[in-house]
Amino acid sequence: MSTLLSIADIRKSYGALEVLKGVTLDVAEGETFAIIGPNGAGKTTLFRVMTGEAPCNAGTVRYAGRDVTRAPAFERVRLGMGRTFQVARIFPDFTVEENVIVAVEARRSSRGDAAAPRWFQTRPRADVRAEAMEQLERVGLADKAASDARFLSHGDKKRLEFAIALAGRPKILMLDEPTAGMSPADRMATAELIRRLRGESGLTVVMTEHDMDVIFGLANRIFVMNHGEPIACGTLDEIRANPTVQEVYLGKEMYGAEG
Amino acid sequence: MKPIHFLAIAAALVVLASLPVWANQGVTFIVGLALVEAVFALSWNLLFGFTGMASFGHAAFFAIGGYLCGAGLRYATGVPFLALLGGAGALGALTAFLVGLVALRRSSGIHFAILTLALSEVLRVLIAYSTALGREDGLSAIPRPAVNLGVARLDLTSGQSYYWFLLVASALLAWVLWLVAKGPLGRVLQTIRQDPERAAFMGVDVWRYRLGAFTLSGAVAAVSGALYAPWAQIITPDSAHWIHSTQPMLASLLGGAQSFWGPVIGTILFTAINYATRTLIGLSEIVIGVVLLVIVLSAPSGVMGLLRRFESRRNRPAAAAGGGARVRAATVPTPAGEA
Ligand SMILES: Nc1ncnc2c1ncn2[C@@H]1O[C@H](COP(=O)(O)OP(=O)(O)OP(=O)(O)O)[C@@H](O)[C@H]1O
Ligand SMILES: [Mg+2]
Repeated sequence: MSTLLSIADIRKSYGALEVLKGVTLDVAEGETFAIIGPNGAGKTTLFRVMTGEAPCNAGTVRYAGRDVTRAPAFERVRLGMGRTFQVARIFPDFTVEENVIVAVEARRSSRGDAAAPRWFQTRPRADVRAEAMEQLERVGLADKAASDARFLSHGDKKRLEFAIALAGRPKILMLDEPTAGMSPADRMATAELIRRLRGESGLTVVMTEHDMDVIFGLANRIFVMNHGEPIACGTLDEIRANPTVQEVYLGKEMYGAEG
Repeated sequence: MKPIHFLAIAAALVVLASLPVWANQGVTFIVGLALVEAVFALSWNLLFGFTGMASFGHAAFFAIGGYLCGAGLRYATGVPFLALLGGAGALGALTAFLVGLVALRRSSGIHFAILTLALSEVLRVLIAYSTALGREDGLSAIPRPAVNLGVARLDLTSGQSYYWFLLVASALLAWVLWLVAKGPLGRVLQTIRQDPERAAFMGVDVWRYRLGAFTLSGAVAAVSGALYAPWAQIITPDSAHWIHSTQPMLASLLGGAQSFWGPVIGTILFTAINYATRTLIGLSEIVIGVVLLVIVLSAPSGVMGLLRRFESRRNRPAAAAGGGARVRAATVPTPAGEA
């Protein structure tokens, strides 16, 4: 398997606070890579640097063989990155369907698709709408297509954002806590959805998550960080057996309740 | 388009087109000014209500177009009128593009607002110092043109014929803006207004779209100024004054910035208030102030928001009775822009 995303020695400070203190990792094509760590470890900040939402102070981000460290977010998206936010961001003034329609149209026009919308055709093309509905069915929101997005529940907003990200047909999907704030049933459904997508299209997934059941059910490899520093990286069993990890992370959150 | 909307637009066009026949010259003149201001307000609201950018110096574009056209008609009598209109649009677009290159680099919020305001005031002062442009007095006695259409020659020197030309031109400009705002471009612009970062993560080059929207808006504002000059037959530095820049803002606020036709409704209401209170000096300001206050406090999405709320109540009485949650978005106050 070839490396799709690779970051080297990433450093990032917010003012005097150094949040990432030299993070290096590689994500192979087709794998599901989980980044875990306690609250404030710097996971979201790492996501921001990898996706281009925020610049880093030092280090490099390479994607599909290119150096994208300085590339703005929209260029990385055009190269095949897709993402969701820790707190779902959708377009509240649009209906659920419109949210996905704009994402489909954005993909088509930014990739010079022949079926890109023309400026004077005010209605979305029929095939764009069909594609949007297909994505909504995938995430189980088809019955809410006509409702205003602002009135969705928190979990539904996350699913809608998922559909927006998928509408970009990403090669790599970056999910910042995809199941946060969801009911246990919704969590399992989302995990199932990710598993299915991965199977269907060989999607590469990078995700952070606090729910260990979701992580253990999905991840091929796990990257553990604390205070902006990597602690360990490896398969599920390797991580479980790692004494440092048990101490700083799993020790507290996983086994704490038992002992 | 819903039948009722189509009917409303058709009725408005019939009333406007027949106006010179049944209304007196004074009223026709005021309605002509309102047409120009309505297009000007639409151009501003493409930025504010759709893209989420507030230009506080939009009158500068109006003045650029107005002076170009006014000076052209007075001094360059050989240049066809349609070329002057086109030239005004091109100059407005170019100015907006250059200003946007600088002003939109870093932000589009308050910096953009202040920068556009400052530049428009600079322009106004420059115009007021320019002898060729008539200094403080402006350019007066601007002749109304004739338009050569190849097959026919339209003589617009009479007030009536120019009024009809103005109506057709305004309707065309509104139609183009409507296509942009309601089509795929407008949808992208609206994603930028709602959440530019989320838009970027769909692959949208936010900066380019903002620059494009500003360029188009500047072009249309300049054309509205160019249409104004031969109608009023005078253009003064006041056309670039910041008070004129507030006109489209107030109209959009009153009519509803989230709706495409909101600025037009707002302009109509302002014109009506001004006309109804024309004999009592100062009264129009008071009435406009009170109306704005009432609208801002009771209907943050403007008159169009009220109408839409009314419409969805009638269409879905059960939903309205069962709580506001299913009534359309217009009932919920949202900040339309960043600034
Ligand atoms: N914009 C910001 N400005 C200043 N400090 C920030 C900013 N964003 C995050 N931080 C700080 O950086 C550190 C890392 O935050 P980050 O959000 O990356 O952690 P996280 O691992 O995603 O945590 P969580 O599990 O709670 O989501 C925290 O101490 C946080 O307070
Ligand atoms: Mg986080």
